[in-house]
Amino acid sequence: MIIKNRLLLHNALAGWLFILPGLAALTLFVFIPAGYVVFLSLLRWNLIDVNAQFVGLGNYSHLFASQSFQQALSNTLILGVGQIVILLPLGLLLAVLLDMGLRGTRIYRTVMFGPYVLPLVASGLVWTLLYNPGFGLINQVLGWAHISGPDWLGSSGFALLAVLIMTVWQYLGYYMLIFLGGLQNVSAVLKEAAAIDGANDRQTFWHVTLPALSPSLFFALIICTIQAFQTFDQVYVMTGGGPDGATTTLVYYIFDEGFQMYNIGTASAASMVLLVLLALLTWLQVRLGRRWVVEE
Amino acid sequence: MAAKRRLARIAAHAILIVVSLGVLTPVYWMAVSAISPMSAIFSSTLHLFPTVFHWDNFVRAWRSQPFGLYFFNSLFTNLAIVFIQLITSCLAAYAFVFIPFPGRHAFFFIILMAMMVPMQATFIPIYLMLSQVHFINTYQGLIVPFVGSAFGIFLLRQGFMSIPKEVIAAARIDGASEFHILRSIVLPNAKPALITLALLNFVWHYNSLFWPLIATNSTNVRVLPVALSYFLSQEGGNNLQWNLMMAADLFTIIPVVLIFIFGQRFIVRGIASSAVKG
Repeated sequence: MIIKNRLLLHNALAGWLFILPGLAALTLFVFIPAGYVVFLSLLRWNLIDVNAQFVGLGNYSHLFASQSFQQALSNTLILGVGQIVILLPLGLLLAVLLDMGLRGTRIYRTVMFGPYVLPLVASGLVWTLLYNPGFGLINQVLGWAHISGPDWLGSSGFALLAVLIMTVWQYLGYYMLIFLGGLQNVSAVLKEAAAIDGANDRQTFWHVTLPALSPSLFFALIICTIQAFQTFDQVYVMTGGGPDGATTTLVYYIFDEGFQMYNIGTASAASMVLLVLLALLTWLQVRLGRRWVVEE
Repeated sequence: MAAKRRLARIAAHAILIVVSLGVLTPVYWMAVSAISPMSAIFSSTLHLFPTVFHWDNFVRAWRSQPFGLYFFNSLFTNLAIVFIQLITSCLAAYAFVFIPFPGRHAFFFIILMAMMVPMQATFIPIYLMLSQVHFINTYQGLIVPFVGSAFGIFLLRQGFMSIPKEVIAAARIDGASEFHILRSIVLPNAKPALITLALLNFVWHYNSLFWPLIATNSTNVRVLPVALSYFLSQEGGNNLQWNLMMAADLFTIIPVVLIFIFGQRFIVRGIASSAVKG
Protein backbone atom coordinates (compact mmCIF):
# COMPACT_ATOMS: atom_id res chain seq x y z
CA MET A 1 0.00 0.00 0.00
CA ILE A 2 2.71 2.41 0.97
CA ILE A 3 4.74 1.39 -2.05
CA LYS A 4 1.75 1.93 -4.28
CA ASN A 5 1.10 5.37 -2.86
CA ARG A 6 4.70 6.26 -3.26
CA LEU A 7 4.63 5.20 -6.88
CA LEU A 8 1.53 7.32 -7.45
CA LEU A 9 3.19 10.31 -5.84
CA HIS A 10 6.35 9.75 -7.81
CA ASN A 11 4.42 9.55 -11.09
CA ALA A 12 2.39 12.63 -10.27
CA LEU A 13 5.41 14.72 -9.34
CA ALA A 14 7.58 13.50 -12.19
CA GLY A 15 4.82 13.88 -14.77
CA TRP A 16 3.87 17.38 -13.70
CA LEU A 17 7.48 18.47 -13.45
CA PHE A 18 8.25 17.17 -16.92
CA ILE A 19 5.35 18.90 -18.63
CA LEU A 20 5.83 22.11 -16.64
CA PRO A 21 8.36 23.94 -18.90
CA GLY A 22 6.44 23.24 -22.09
CA LEU A 23 3.08 23.96 -20.54
CA ALA A 24 4.32 27.15 -18.90
CA ALA A 25 5.69 28.39 -22.24
CA LEU A 26 2.43 27.60 -24.00
CA THR A 27 0.44 29.27 -21.25
CA LEU A 28 2.56 32.42 -21.42
CA PHE A 29 2.76 32.69 -25.20
CA VAL A 30 -0.41 31.03 -26.45
CA PHE A 31 -3.20 30.91 -23.88
CA ILE A 32 -2.67 34.21 -22.06
CA PRO A 33 -2.16 36.12 -25.35
CA ALA A 34 -5.27 34.44 -26.77
CA GLY A 35 -7.27 35.65 -23.77
CA TYR A 36 -5.61 39.05 -23.87
CA VAL A 37 -6.47 39.53 -27.54
CA VAL A 38 -10.16 38.95 -26.73
CA PHE A 39 -9.94 41.73 -24.17
CA LEU A 40 -7.98 44.06 -26.47
CA SER A 41 -10.56 43.59 -29.20
CA LEU A 42 -13.11 45.27 -26.93
CA LEU A 43 -11.06 48.45 -26.55
CA ARG A 44 -10.63 51.50 -28.66
CA TRP A 45 -6.96 52.04 -28.13
CA ASN A 46 -4.42 53.74 -30.32
CA LEU A 47 -0.91 53.32 -28.98
CA ILE A 48 -0.11 56.88 -29.96
CA ASP A 49 -2.48 58.36 -27.39
CA VAL A 50 -2.36 56.54 -24.11
CA ASN A 51 -5.98 56.24 -23.10
CA ALA A 52 -7.86 53.09 -23.90
CA GLN A 53 -11.61 53.17 -24.03
CA PHE A 54 -13.97 50.22 -23.60
CA VAL A 55 -16.22 49.97 -26.65
CA GLY A 56 -17.69 46.48 -26.30
CA LEU A 57 -18.26 44.90 -29.67
CA GLY A 58 -17.82 48.24 -31.41
CA ASN A 59 -14.61 47.18 -33.14
CA TYR A 60 -16.33 44.17 -34.66
CA SER A 61 -19.22 46.13 -36.08
CA HIS A 62 -16.76 48.72 -37.36
CA LEU A 63 -14.65 45.93 -38.86
CA PHE A 64 -17.41 44.16 -40.74
CA ALA A 65 -18.72 47.45 -42.07
CA SER A 66 -15.26 48.49 -43.22
CA GLN A 67 -14.58 48.29 -46.92
CA SER A 68 -10.88 47.54 -46.46
CA PHE A 69 -11.53 44.64 -44.08
CA GLN A 70 -14.09 43.14 -46.43
CA GLN A 71 -11.57 43.45 -49.21
CA ALA A 72 -8.88 41.78 -47.08
CA LEU A 73 -11.25 38.90 -46.30
CA SER A 74 -12.28 38.44 -49.91
CA ASN A 75 -8.64 38.63 -51.10
CA THR A 76 -7.76 35.93 -48.59
CA LEU A 77 -10.67 33.77 -49.71
CA ILE A 78 -9.75 34.19 -53.38
CA LEU A 79 -6.16 33.19 -52.58
CA GLY A 80 -7.44 30.19 -50.63
CA VAL A 81 -9.80 29.00 -53.35
CA GLY A 82 -7.16 29.64 -56.01
CA GLN A 83 -4.58 27.64 -54.10
CA ILE A 84 -6.99 24.77 -53.52
CA VAL A 85 -8.11 24.67 -57.15
CA ILE A 86 -4.55 24.68 -58.48
CA LEU A 87 -2.43 23.01 -55.81
CA LEU A 88 -4.61 20.02 -54.99
CA PRO A 89 -5.17 18.63 -58.52
CA LEU A 90 -1.67 19.53 -59.68
CA GLY A 91 -0.06 18.12 -56.53
CA LEU A 92 -2.09 14.95 -56.93
CA LEU A 93 -1.19 14.60 -60.61
CA LEU A 94 2.52 14.99 -59.85
CA ALA A 95 2.28 12.51 -56.98
CA VAL A 96 0.59 9.94 -59.25
CA LEU A 97 3.34 10.42 -61.84
CA LEU A 98 6.04 10.08 -59.20
CA ASP A 99 4.36 6.93 -57.92
CA MET A 100 4.77 5.20 -61.30
CA GLY A 101 8.30 4.13 -60.46
CA LEU A 102 9.89 6.13 -63.27
CA ARG A 103 13.61 6.60 -63.58
CA GLY A 104 14.73 9.89 -62.02
CA THR A 105 11.80 10.03 -59.60
CA ARG A 106 14.04 11.17 -56.77
CA ILE A 107 15.46 14.04 -58.79
CA TYR A 108 12.01 15.24 -59.84
CA ARG A 109 10.81 15.01 -56.25
CA THR A 110 13.79 16.93 -54.89
CA VAL A 111 13.51 19.69 -57.46
CA MET A 112 9.79 20.17 -57.00
CA PHE A 113 9.94 20.12 -53.21
CA GLY A 114 12.89 22.54 -53.10
CA PRO A 115 11.04 25.89 -53.04
CA TYR A 116 9.16 24.84 -49.89
CA VAL A 117 12.26 25.29 -47.71
CA LEU A 118 13.19 28.71 -49.12
CA PRO A 119 12.33 31.85 -47.14
CA LEU A 120 9.19 33.45 -48.60
CA VAL A 121 11.05 36.76 -48.40
CA ALA A 122 13.82 35.47 -50.65
CA SER A 123 11.35 33.98 -53.13
CA GLY A 124 9.31 37.16 -53.00
CA LEU A 125 12.33 39.20 -54.09
CA VAL A 126 13.09 36.92 -57.04
CA TRP A 127 9.48 36.96 -58.16
CA THR A 128 9.41 40.74 -57.89
CA LEU A 129 12.26 40.75 -60.39
CA LEU A 130 10.55 38.14 -62.60
CA TYR A 131 7.33 40.17 -62.58
CA ASN A 132 9.01 43.48 -63.42
CA PRO A 133 7.07 44.96 -66.35
CA GLY A 134 10.16 46.56 -67.93
CA PHE A 135 12.83 43.90 -67.82
CA GLY A 136 11.30 40.94 -65.91
CA LEU A 137 11.77 37.48 -67.38
CA ILE A 138 8.06 36.71 -67.55
CA ASN A 139 7.08 39.64 -69.75
CA GLN A 140 10.18 39.23 -71.90
CA VAL A 141 9.23 35.62 -72.58
CA LEU A 142 5.64 36.66 -73.23
CA GLY A 143 7.09 39.20 -75.63
CA TRP A 144 8.52 36.39 -77.76
CA ALA A 145 4.94 35.30 -78.35
CA HIS A 146 4.06 38.92 -79.10
CA ILE A 147 1.99 39.18 -75.97
CA SER A 148 2.52 42.37 -74.03
CA GLY A 149 2.40 41.23 -70.42
CA PRO A 150 0.69 43.30 -67.73
CA ASP A 151 2.32 45.24 -64.92
CA TRP A 152 1.89 42.19 -62.71
CA LEU A 153 2.45 43.67 -59.28
CA GLY A 154 1.47 47.23 -60.13
CA SER A 155 -2.04 46.74 -61.46
CA SER A 156 -4.91 45.92 -59.14
CA GLY A 157 -6.29 43.46 -61.68
CA PHE A 158 -3.22 41.25 -61.75
CA ALA A 159 -1.45 41.69 -58.41
CA LEU A 160 -3.46 39.09 -56.52
CA LEU A 161 -3.03 36.60 -59.37
CA ALA A 162 0.71 37.29 -59.28
CA VAL A 163 0.81 36.58 -55.54
CA LEU A 164 -1.20 33.40 -56.13
CA ILE A 165 1.17 32.14 -58.85
CA MET A 166 4.21 32.78 -56.68
CA THR A 167 2.57 31.02 -53.71
CA VAL A 168 1.67 28.02 -55.86
CA TRP A 169 5.31 27.80 -56.95
CA GLN A 170 6.43 27.87 -53.32
CA TYR A 171 4.06 25.21 -51.99
CA LEU A 172 3.50 22.84 -54.92
CA GLY A 173 6.10 20.37 -53.69
CA TYR A 174 4.57 20.24 -50.24
CA TYR A 175 1.20 19.03 -51.57
CA MET A 176 2.91 16.66 -53.95
CA LEU A 177 4.63 15.10 -50.93
CA ILE A 178 1.44 14.78 -48.92
CA PHE A 179 -0.26 12.96 -51.79
CA LEU A 180 2.79 10.84 -52.49
CA GLY A 181 2.75 9.74 -48.85
CA GLY A 182 -0.96 9.00 -49.14
CA LEU A 183 -0.51 7.03 -52.37
CA GLN A 184 2.22 4.92 -50.87
CA ASN A 185 -0.18 4.04 -48.07
CA VAL A 186 -2.87 2.77 -50.45
CA SER A 187 -2.37 -0.93 -50.18
CA ALA A 188 -1.07 -2.77 -53.20
CA VAL A 189 -3.45 -5.60 -52.32
CA LEU A 190 -6.42 -3.32 -52.92
CA LYS A 191 -5.11 -2.29 -56.33
CA GLU A 192 -4.31 -5.88 -57.31
CA ALA A 193 -7.77 -6.99 -56.30
CA ALA A 194 -9.23 -4.30 -58.53
CA ALA A 195 -6.99 -5.39 -61.39
CA ILE A 196 -8.04 -9.03 -60.98
CA ASP A 197 -11.67 -7.94 -61.06
CA GLY A 198 -10.89 -6.49 -64.48
CA ALA A 199 -10.64 -2.82 -63.62
CA ASN A 200 -8.39 -0.77 -65.88
CA ASP A 201 -5.93 1.81 -64.56
CA ARG A 202 -8.38 4.65 -64.85
CA GLN A 203 -11.15 2.77 -63.03
CA THR A 204 -8.73 1.66 -60.35
CA PHE A 205 -7.66 5.26 -59.82
CA TRP A 206 -11.17 6.71 -59.56
CA HIS A 207 -12.79 3.90 -57.60
CA VAL A 208 -10.00 2.49 -55.46
CA THR A 209 -7.06 4.86 -55.13
CA LEU A 210 -8.91 8.15 -54.85
CA PRO A 211 -11.37 7.03 -52.14
CA ALA A 212 -8.49 5.52 -50.19
CA LEU A 213 -6.72 8.86 -50.55
CA SER A 214 -9.58 10.82 -48.97
CA PRO A 215 -7.76 11.42 -45.65
CA SER A 216 -4.81 12.99 -47.52
CA LEU A 217 -7.14 15.03 -49.70
CA PHE A 218 -9.02 16.29 -46.68
CA PHE A 219 -5.81 17.12 -44.83
CA ALA A 220 -4.46 18.97 -47.87
CA LEU A 221 -7.71 20.89 -48.24
CA ILE A 222 -7.61 22.12 -44.64
CA ILE A 223 -3.88 22.87 -44.60
CA CYS A 224 -4.20 24.75 -47.88
CA THR A 225 -6.97 26.91 -46.42
CA ILE A 226 -5.00 27.54 -43.24
CA GLN A 227 -1.91 28.42 -45.26
CA ALA A 228 -3.88 30.89 -47.37
CA PHE A 229 -5.26 32.55 -44.25
CA GLN A 230 -1.71 33.02 -42.95
CA THR A 231 -0.40 34.67 -46.12
CA PHE A 232 1.84 37.57 -45.17
CA ASP A 233 5.55 37.44 -46.06
CA GLN A 234 5.23 37.36 -49.84
CA VAL A 235 2.62 40.12 -49.81
CA TYR A 236 4.77 42.30 -47.57
CA VAL A 237 7.74 41.91 -49.89
CA MET A 238 6.11 41.95 -53.30
CA THR A 239 3.23 44.41 -53.05
CA GLY A 240 2.95 45.82 -49.54
CA GLY A 241 -0.75 44.93 -49.74
CA GLY A 242 -1.26 47.16 -52.76
CA PRO A 243 -2.01 48.47 -55.20
CA ASP A 244 -4.96 50.03 -53.41
CA GLY A 245 -5.50 47.09 -51.09
CA ALA A 246 -5.72 44.63 -53.98
CA THR A 247 -3.41 42.14 -52.26
CA THR A 248 -4.10 42.94 -48.61
CA THR A 249 -4.74 39.64 -46.86
CA LEU A 250 -6.25 39.13 -43.42
CA VAL A 251 -2.85 38.84 -41.72
CA TYR A 252 -1.49 41.79 -43.68
CA TYR A 253 -4.52 43.77 -42.52
CA ILE A 254 -3.72 42.88 -38.90
CA PHE A 255 -0.12 43.98 -39.45
CA ASP A 256 -1.18 47.21 -41.09
CA GLU A 257 -3.79 48.17 -38.49
CA GLY A 258 -1.76 47.01 -35.51
CA PHE A 259 1.83 47.81 -36.34
CA GLN A 260 1.60 50.61 -38.89
CA MET A 261 -1.39 52.55 -37.59
CA TYR A 262 -1.29 51.31 -33.99
CA ASN A 263 -5.04 50.71 -33.85
CA ILE A 264 -4.72 47.96 -31.27
CA GLY A 265 -8.46 47.45 -30.85
CA THR A 266 -9.28 47.05 -34.55
CA ALA A 267 -6.24 44.88 -35.18
CA SER A 268 -7.16 42.69 -32.21
CA ALA A 269 -10.71 42.26 -33.47
CA ALA A 270 -9.29 41.21 -36.85
CA SER A 271 -6.94 38.85 -35.01
CA MET A 272 -9.98 37.29 -33.33
CA VAL A 273 -11.56 36.66 -36.73
CA LEU A 274 -8.36 34.90 -37.81
CA LEU A 275 -8.15 32.96 -34.55
CA VAL A 276 -11.74 31.72 -34.65
CA LEU A 277 -11.56 30.72 -38.32
CA LEU A 278 -8.29 28.82 -38.01
CA ALA A 279 -9.25 27.22 -34.70
CA LEU A 280 -12.40 25.89 -36.37
CA LEU A 281 -10.40 24.56 -39.32
CA THR A 282 -7.83 22.87 -37.10
CA TRP A 283 -10.57 21.37 -34.97
CA LEU A 284 -12.30 20.05 -38.10
CA GLN A 285 -9.06 18.53 -39.27
CA VAL A 286 -8.42 16.78 -35.96
CA ARG A 287 -12.01 15.47 -35.58
CA LEU A 288 -12.83 14.40 -39.11
CA GLY A 289 -9.26 13.46 -39.95
CA ARG A 290 -9.16 11.00 -37.11
CA ARG A 291 -12.50 9.46 -38.02
CA TRP A 292 -11.43 8.95 -41.63
CA VAL A 293 -8.05 7.54 -40.80
CA VAL A 294 -9.67 5.02 -38.47
CA GLU A 295 -12.26 4.08 -41.06
CA GLU A 296 -9.53 3.34 -43.55
CA MET B 1 -0.40 -2.89 -74.35
CA ALA B 2 3.33 -2.54 -73.86
CA ALA B 3 3.44 0.26 -76.40
CA LYS B 4 0.66 2.03 -74.51
CA ARG B 5 2.64 1.74 -71.28
CA ARG B 6 5.69 3.16 -72.99
CA LEU B 7 3.68 6.08 -74.25
CA ALA B 8 2.31 6.71 -70.77
CA ARG B 9 5.81 6.75 -69.35
CA ILE B 10 7.04 9.19 -71.95
CA ALA B 11 4.07 11.45 -71.30
CA ALA B 12 4.73 11.28 -67.55
CA HIS B 13 8.38 12.20 -68.05
CA ALA B 14 7.37 15.07 -70.30
CA ILE B 15 5.01 16.54 -67.70
CA LEU B 16 7.52 16.08 -64.88
CA ILE B 17 10.32 17.70 -66.87
CA VAL B 18 8.19 20.70 -67.83
CA VAL B 19 7.06 21.25 -64.24
CA SER B 20 10.58 20.76 -62.90
CA LEU B 21 11.97 23.32 -65.31
CA GLY B 22 9.22 25.73 -64.32
CA VAL B 23 10.04 25.23 -60.66
CA LEU B 24 13.76 25.69 -61.26
CA THR B 25 13.49 28.82 -63.38
CA PRO B 26 13.13 31.39 -60.56
CA VAL B 27 16.10 29.89 -58.70
CA TYR B 28 18.17 29.83 -61.87
CA TRP B 29 17.20 33.42 -62.59
CA MET B 30 18.21 34.42 -59.08
CA ALA B 31 21.67 32.98 -59.72
CA VAL B 32 22.03 34.50 -63.19
CA SER B 33 20.95 37.95 -61.98
CA ALA B 34 23.25 37.71 -58.98
CA ILE B 35 26.36 37.50 -61.14
CA SER B 36 25.23 39.94 -63.86
CA PRO B 37 25.99 43.63 -64.14
CA MET B 38 22.98 45.92 -63.86
CA SER B 39 23.29 46.73 -67.56
CA ALA B 40 22.54 43.08 -68.38
CA ILE B 41 19.49 43.06 -66.11
CA PHE B 42 18.09 46.22 -67.68
CA SER B 43 19.01 45.11 -71.20
CA SER B 44 16.11 44.85 -73.61
CA THR B 45 17.47 41.73 -75.27
CA LEU B 46 17.06 38.74 -73.05
CA HIS B 47 20.09 36.57 -72.34
CA LEU B 48 19.07 33.25 -70.86
CA PHE B 49 22.71 32.53 -70.09
CA PRO B 50 25.04 35.03 -68.45
CA THR B 51 27.59 36.55 -70.82
CA VAL B 52 29.74 38.37 -68.27
CA PHE B 53 30.38 37.12 -64.78
CA HIS B 54 30.55 39.67 -61.99
CA TRP B 55 31.56 37.50 -59.07
CA ASP B 56 32.40 40.56 -57.02
CA ASN B 57 28.64 41.20 -56.75
CA PHE B 58 28.68 38.82 -53.81
CA VAL B 59 31.34 40.85 -52.04
CA ARG B 60 29.55 44.11 -52.77
CA ALA B 61 26.23 42.70 -51.58
CA TRP B 62 27.86 41.36 -48.41
CA ARG B 63 29.35 44.77 -47.67
CA SER B 64 26.22 46.75 -48.56
CA GLN B 65 24.75 45.90 -45.17
CA PRO B 66 26.26 44.27 -42.06
CA PHE B 67 25.35 40.81 -43.30
CA GLY B 68 27.89 39.12 -41.06
CA LEU B 69 26.01 40.44 -38.05
CA TYR B 70 22.62 39.50 -39.54
CA PHE B 71 23.83 35.97 -40.18
CA PHE B 72 25.01 35.70 -36.61
CA ASN B 73 21.70 37.07 -35.32
CA SER B 74 19.68 34.66 -37.44
CA LEU B 75 21.75 31.61 -36.59
CA PHE B 76 22.05 32.44 -32.90
CA THR B 77 18.37 33.18 -32.23
CA ASN B 78 17.11 30.28 -34.30
CA LEU B 79 19.52 27.75 -32.84
CA ALA B 80 18.45 28.96 -29.40
CA ILE B 81 14.78 28.45 -30.31
CA VAL B 82 15.50 24.97 -31.65
CA PHE B 83 17.59 23.98 -28.64
CA ILE B 84 15.19 25.21 -25.95
CA GLN B 85 12.18 23.89 -27.80
CA LEU B 86 13.79 20.46 -28.05
CA ILE B 87 14.25 20.43 -24.28
CA THR B 88 10.72 21.52 -23.38
CA SER B 89 9.19 19.19 -25.99
CA CYS B 90 11.32 16.18 -24.99
CA LEU B 91 10.39 16.51 -21.33
CA ALA B 92 6.67 16.88 -22.01
CA ALA B 93 6.57 14.14 -24.65
CA TYR B 94 8.40 11.77 -22.30
CA ALA B 95 5.88 12.42 -19.53
CA PHE B 96 2.91 11.89 -21.85
CA VAL B 97 4.25 8.59 -23.19
CA PHE B 98 6.01 6.97 -20.26
CA ILE B 99 4.67 8.42 -17.00
CA PRO B 100 1.07 7.57 -16.11
CA PHE B 101 0.58 10.77 -14.10
CA PRO B 102 -2.83 11.98 -12.95
CA GLY B 103 -4.44 14.53 -15.25
CA ARG B 104 -2.42 13.53 -18.28
CA HIS B 105 -5.44 13.29 -20.54
CA ALA B 106 -6.65 16.74 -19.52
CA PHE B 107 -3.18 18.20 -19.98
CA PHE B 108 -2.84 16.58 -23.35
CA PHE B 109 -6.13 18.10 -24.40
CA ILE B 110 -4.79 21.49 -23.31
CA ILE B 111 -1.73 21.01 -25.53
CA LEU B 112 -4.07 20.08 -28.38
CA MET B 113 -5.90 23.36 -27.83
CA ALA B 114 -2.65 25.27 -28.19
CA MET B 115 -2.31 23.89 -31.70
CA MET B 116 -5.55 25.55 -32.67
CA VAL B 117 -4.30 29.07 -31.98
CA PRO B 118 -2.53 30.65 -34.96
CA MET B 119 0.59 32.56 -33.95
CA GLN B 120 -0.23 35.60 -36.07
CA ALA B 121 -3.43 36.16 -34.13
CA THR B 122 -1.53 36.57 -30.86
CA PHE B 123 1.36 38.74 -31.99
CA ILE B 124 -0.31 41.96 -30.81
CA PRO B 125 -0.76 40.82 -27.19
CA ILE B 126 2.66 39.16 -27.20
CA TYR B 127 4.18 42.38 -28.45
CA LEU B 128 2.47 44.36 -25.67
CA MET B 129 3.52 41.82 -23.04
CA LEU B 130 7.14 41.74 -24.17
CA SER B 131 7.37 45.52 -24.36
CA GLN B 132 6.36 45.60 -20.69
CA VAL B 133 9.49 43.62 -19.81
CA HIS B 134 11.63 45.53 -22.35
CA PHE B 135 12.22 42.53 -24.58
CA ILE B 136 11.45 44.42 -27.79
CA ASN B 137 14.61 44.88 -29.84
CA THR B 138 16.48 42.18 -27.94
CA TYR B 139 17.54 38.60 -28.67
CA GLN B 140 15.26 37.44 -25.86
CA GLY B 141 12.33 39.03 -27.64
CA LEU B 142 13.09 37.01 -30.77
CA ILE B 143 13.47 33.76 -28.85
CA VAL B 144 11.07 33.46 -25.92
CA PRO B 145 7.72 33.44 -27.75
CA PHE B 146 8.74 30.17 -29.41
CA VAL B 147 10.37 28.19 -26.59
CA GLY B 148 7.35 25.95 -26.19
CA SER B 149 5.61 24.22 -29.07
CA ALA B 150 2.53 22.05 -29.13
CA PHE B 151 3.61 20.70 -32.51
CA GLY B 152 7.00 19.76 -31.07
CA ILE B 153 5.39 17.86 -28.20
CA PHE B 154 3.11 16.06 -30.67
CA LEU B 155 5.88 15.10 -33.04
CA LEU B 156 8.19 13.79 -30.33
CA ARG B 157 5.34 11.97 -28.60
CA GLN B 158 4.80 10.09 -31.84
CA GLY B 159 8.49 9.29 -32.07
CA PHE B 160 8.69 8.16 -28.46
CA MET B 161 5.67 5.87 -28.77
CA SER B 162 7.60 3.50 -30.99
CA ILE B 163 9.99 2.71 -28.12
CA PRO B 164 8.85 -0.49 -26.36
CA LYS B 165 7.45 0.24 -22.90
CA GLU B 166 9.07 -2.96 -21.53
CA VAL B 167 12.53 -1.45 -21.99
CA ILE B 168 11.50 1.53 -19.89
CA ALA B 169 9.88 -0.68 -17.26
CA ALA B 170 13.05 -2.78 -17.00
CA ALA B 171 15.16 0.32 -16.49
CA ARG B 172 12.78 1.50 -13.74
CA ILE B 173 13.13 -1.84 -11.93
CA ASP B 174 16.88 -1.33 -12.08
CA GLY B 175 16.28 1.90 -10.20
CA ALA B 176 17.07 4.34 -13.00
CA SER B 177 15.73 7.85 -12.55
CA GLU B 178 13.32 9.34 -15.06
CA PHE B 179 15.99 11.77 -16.29
CA HIS B 180 18.42 8.93 -16.73
CA ILE B 181 15.90 6.89 -18.72
CA LEU B 182 15.11 9.88 -20.92
CA ARG B 183 18.76 10.60 -21.58
CA SER B 184 20.21 7.16 -22.00
CA ILE B 185 17.32 5.16 -23.46
CA VAL B 186 14.67 7.37 -24.99
CA LEU B 187 16.74 10.06 -26.69
CA PRO B 188 19.20 7.70 -28.43
CA ASN B 189 16.26 5.68 -29.72
CA ALA B 190 14.32 8.66 -30.98
CA LYS B 191 17.04 10.38 -32.96
CA PRO B 192 15.10 10.57 -36.24
CA ALA B 193 12.18 12.34 -34.55
CA LEU B 194 14.55 14.74 -32.76
CA ILE B 195 16.42 15.58 -35.95
CA THR B 196 13.15 16.04 -37.83
CA LEU B 197 11.84 18.48 -35.24
CA ALA B 198 15.14 20.37 -35.08
CA LEU B 199 15.42 20.77 -38.85
CA LEU B 200 11.78 21.69 -39.46
CA ASN B 201 11.93 24.19 -36.63
CA PHE B 202 15.13 25.76 -37.82
CA VAL B 203 13.84 26.15 -41.35
CA TRP B 204 10.53 27.65 -40.20
CA HIS B 205 12.04 30.18 -37.85
CA TYR B 206 15.01 31.03 -40.05
CA ASN B 207 12.56 31.84 -42.85
CA SER B 208 9.92 33.67 -40.88
CA LEU B 209 9.47 37.40 -41.26
CA PHE B 210 6.44 38.58 -39.34
CA TRP B 211 7.57 38.39 -35.72
CA PRO B 212 11.15 39.71 -36.23
CA LEU B 213 9.72 42.48 -38.39
CA ILE B 214 7.58 43.80 -35.55
CA ALA B 215 9.74 42.81 -32.59
CA THR B 216 12.94 44.49 -33.82
CA ASN B 217 13.82 47.71 -35.60
CA SER B 218 17.46 48.25 -34.76
CA THR B 219 20.23 46.83 -36.91
CA ASN B 220 22.11 45.14 -34.07
CA VAL B 221 19.40 42.49 -33.56
CA ARG B 222 18.15 42.38 -37.16
CA VAL B 223 17.72 38.95 -38.74
CA LEU B 224 18.12 37.99 -42.39
CA PRO B 225 14.49 37.98 -43.62
CA VAL B 226 13.99 41.48 -42.23
CA ALA B 227 17.26 42.66 -43.80
CA LEU B 228 16.21 41.26 -47.18
CA SER B 229 12.80 42.85 -47.00
CA TYR B 230 14.40 46.24 -46.28
CA PHE B 231 16.54 45.89 -49.39
CA LEU B 232 13.44 46.51 -51.44
CA SER B 233 11.64 49.07 -49.32
CA GLN B 234 14.65 51.22 -48.40
CA GLU B 235 16.37 51.58 -51.72
CA GLY B 236 13.19 51.85 -53.75
CA GLY B 237 12.69 53.48 -57.12
CA ASN B 238 14.91 52.91 -60.09
CA ASN B 239 18.22 52.72 -58.24
CA LEU B 240 17.45 49.21 -57.02
CA GLN B 241 20.57 47.10 -57.21
CA TRP B 242 18.79 43.98 -58.40
CA ASN B 243 22.00 42.05 -58.88
CA LEU B 244 23.17 42.74 -55.32
CA MET B 245 19.73 41.91 -54.02
CA MET B 246 19.80 38.53 -55.77
CA ALA B 247 23.32 37.92 -54.50
CA ALA B 248 22.13 38.60 -50.95
CA ASP B 249 19.16 36.34 -51.61
CA LEU B 250 21.54 33.58 -52.64
CA PHE B 251 23.74 33.67 -49.60
CA THR B 252 20.72 33.95 -47.33
CA ILE B 253 19.25 30.71 -48.62
CA ILE B 254 22.52 28.76 -48.22
CA PRO B 255 21.73 27.41 -44.71
CA VAL B 256 18.26 26.14 -45.66
CA VAL B 257 19.52 24.73 -48.94
CA LEU B 258 22.23 22.81 -47.06
CA ILE B 259 19.64 21.51 -44.61
CA PHE B 260 17.46 20.54 -47.54
CA ILE B 261 20.27 18.66 -49.28
CA PHE B 262 21.52 16.79 -46.26
CA GLY B 263 18.34 16.47 -44.23
CA GLN B 264 15.73 16.05 -46.92
CA ARG B 265 14.54 12.67 -45.72
CA PHE B 266 13.94 14.00 -42.21
CA ILE B 267 11.95 16.96 -43.48
CA VAL B 268 9.94 14.72 -45.79
CA ARG B 269 9.28 12.40 -42.85
CA GLY B 270 8.13 15.30 -40.71
CA ILE B 271 5.68 16.44 -43.35
CA ALA B 272 4.41 12.94 -43.95
CA SER B 273 3.90 12.32 -40.24
CA SER B 274 2.16 15.62 -39.69
CA ALA B 275 -0.12 14.67 -42.55
CA VAL B 276 -1.24 11.42 -40.96
CA LYS B 277 -1.20 12.81 -37.44
CA GLY B 278 -4.92 13.57 -37.54
